[in-house]
Amino acid sequence: MPGLEEQRTLESGYVTLDDLRRHGNIPPDEVLESRAVPIFDCIEEIPCTPCRDACPTGAVIMPTMNDKPRVNWEACTGCTLCAQACPGLAITIVNIPFGKKVLKDPAKALVSVPYEILPIPKKGERVALYDRGHRYLGEGEVFSVIRSHKYGTVLINVIVPKEIALEVKFVEVIRDE
Amino acid sequence: MLKFDRGRPIVINFNGKPVKAFETETVAAALYASGVIKFGYSAERHRPRGPFCMIGKCSQCLMRVNGYPHVRTCITPVEDGMVVEYEEGHDAELPLPTKEMLVKREDLEYDAAIIGAGPAGLSAALEASGMGARVLVMDQSPVPGGQLVKQTHKFFGTKETFAGMRGFEIAKMLTDKLRDRENVDVMPSTQVIGYFRREGSLAAFRTDGLGKYTLLRIRAKSIIVATGAMERSLVFPGNDLPGVMGAGAAQTLMNVFGIRPADEPLIIGAGNVGVIVAYQAVQAGIKVKAVIDIAKKSAAYLVHSSKIRRMGIPILMRHTIREAYGKGRVEGATIYKVDDNFHPIKGSEVDIEVDGVWLAVGLTPSIEVLELMEAGIKFVPELGGYVPLRHRNLETTVPGVFVAGDASCIEEASTAMMEGRVAGIAAAMKAGLGGDEHVKRMKEAIKWLDEFRSSPHYRRIREGLFKVTLEGGAS
Repeated sequence: MPGLEEQRTLESGYVTLDDLRRHGNIPPDEVLESRAVPIFDCIEEIPCTPCRDACPTGAVIMPTMNDKPRVNWEACTGCTLCAQACPGLAITIVNIPFGKKVLKDPAKALVSVPYEILPIPKKGERVALYDRGHRYLGEGEVFSVIRSHKYGTVLINVIVPKEIALEVKFVEVIRDE
Repeated sequence: MLKFDRGRPIVINFNGKPVKAFETETVAAALYASGVIKFGYSAERHRPRGPFCMIGKCSQCLMRVNGYPHVRTCITPVEDGMVVEYEEGHDAELPLPTKEMLVKREDLEYDAAIIGAGPAGLSAALEASGMGARVLVMDQSPVPGGQLVKQTHKFFGTKETFAGMRGFEIAKMLTDKLRDRENVDVMPSTQVIGYFRREGSLAAFRTDGLGKYTLLRIRAKSIIVATGAMERSLVFPGNDLPGVMGAGAAQTLMNVFGIRPADEPLIIGAGNVGVIVAYQAVQAGIKVKAVIDIAKKSAAYLVHSSKIRRMGIPILMRHTIREAYGKGRVEGATIYKVDDNFHPIKGSEVDIEVDGVWLAVGLTPSIEVLELMEAGIKFVPELGGYVPLRHRNLETTVPGVFVAGDASCIEEASTAMMEGRVAGIAAAMKAGLGGDEHVKRMKEAIKWLDEFRSSPHYRRIREGLFKVTLEGGAS
């Protein structure tokens, strides 16, 4: 059980990658390397179920409305619907094999970031990448944009260096002055 | 992310000068949009005052409109050619109704009369009318929906309370459904002013336009009080400066009217309201300087606070405000850090340049109508202050009078909707309608509420409810 460490995190108002590892929200490396997976920044028992309700394969496990979501990595197809549905914008989809398979660049990965601020970044635009505490991580490129009519939250698919894929949580369009 | 249909442009007259407005706006919103932030003066010291709540609960926005004194400009729709003026201190005469003003009188009869058309009231109306009850829903605001109309974020909760939909979409869906029902009357711009105990009827007046009022006597077999809550203020020097307002008021200006209430505000209170309003301010193009809170730990859901931390908005815990200052409006604030005993830490004061201070320091249940009815009331800090005693079916100590939503306990819109359903079913049953399936439906709703409140986040709510829930009633 997380003790003092957790207290400190809650005080700062956000979840760290270490918190997520301790809560089992980061899949094992072999899963990360083999397919797209959702990373749930959701470690509190709050009454909220849209991710579970959106999942077409039953991969989000949540027996009661207050249970923390758990992902059955084997059942998850990486379809991104949970990230579109989450009212907390707490889910990013990390797709590490995308670099090797689609971009032919194993040093790159694709991260889907939920986004609700205008202007919506466009395909091809450069974006600044930030982590959970707004620490600047470098630049990425918008690969595509998913506009969900059903759930209303846009997903920005960003190409990022593979080693920071789990850290990217927010993007901002870089505009020329 | 929002589109605003502000309607036809019109012109009103403010202190002798023309001010552009749009027909969907209230007088207060139109003035704020044109740069007016001073809405009056304090009676004794003639200090300038700005609006505070923007939802018709406080008295900071009173002005003289078309000659009528003490008009709540925040819930009065603009009309072309309207004449709006400042009132000064004691000069304003009391708004005594004259014979010319009261043009009509109506006697109405319903199975259930619901006071408040927010998430609780609308949900109650749907349940009761679904059981065949003739239902009246009144609200003092010109638009039904309560505070759902300014909630632009997606709701938490479950399918039963429309999780994933945004608050304003839920308001529209509920009011659309009610509009299709012949046995429901939704009556906006209507305020309840009295209760006649012997015949169990309500007195209310409806504003059909400035100076055009209808006095109503409403007989109902049951009454549901779903009057919501009011934002709290905080005591500090300068808390009456224009620019200091409730976070919910800022939310109303941004999300209902598309107006930026400040460019660089400070938000006090890092609970769910504070951090959600901070997020929506960023969406509106506003740079939030910081969200501060005197507590050790934020009471907000981590997912909500994480949203603004990743965008770079600081959340400073154990910080509070010393004062707000400025000439005629907020120009800056001094904040400081406190120790474990909430005592100021020497040398921790920081001056920050801000043009708004938004208070998200909690809400107080609006129970005036229940006090009028002499319902049993208890002070329960966990639930937000003075709240009515109630049975499991939400009936108060006054037979036939029910309570639902924030008036019963400061909580969430999701629980307000579910409480509304419980009260709606119970009220219709009191009127002699419904059967076994409705008893079952009510029990399911109560079970949902119990499950929702079993989250560690709602421990205090559970403790508070334990103090005010009476034996008996359906459970």
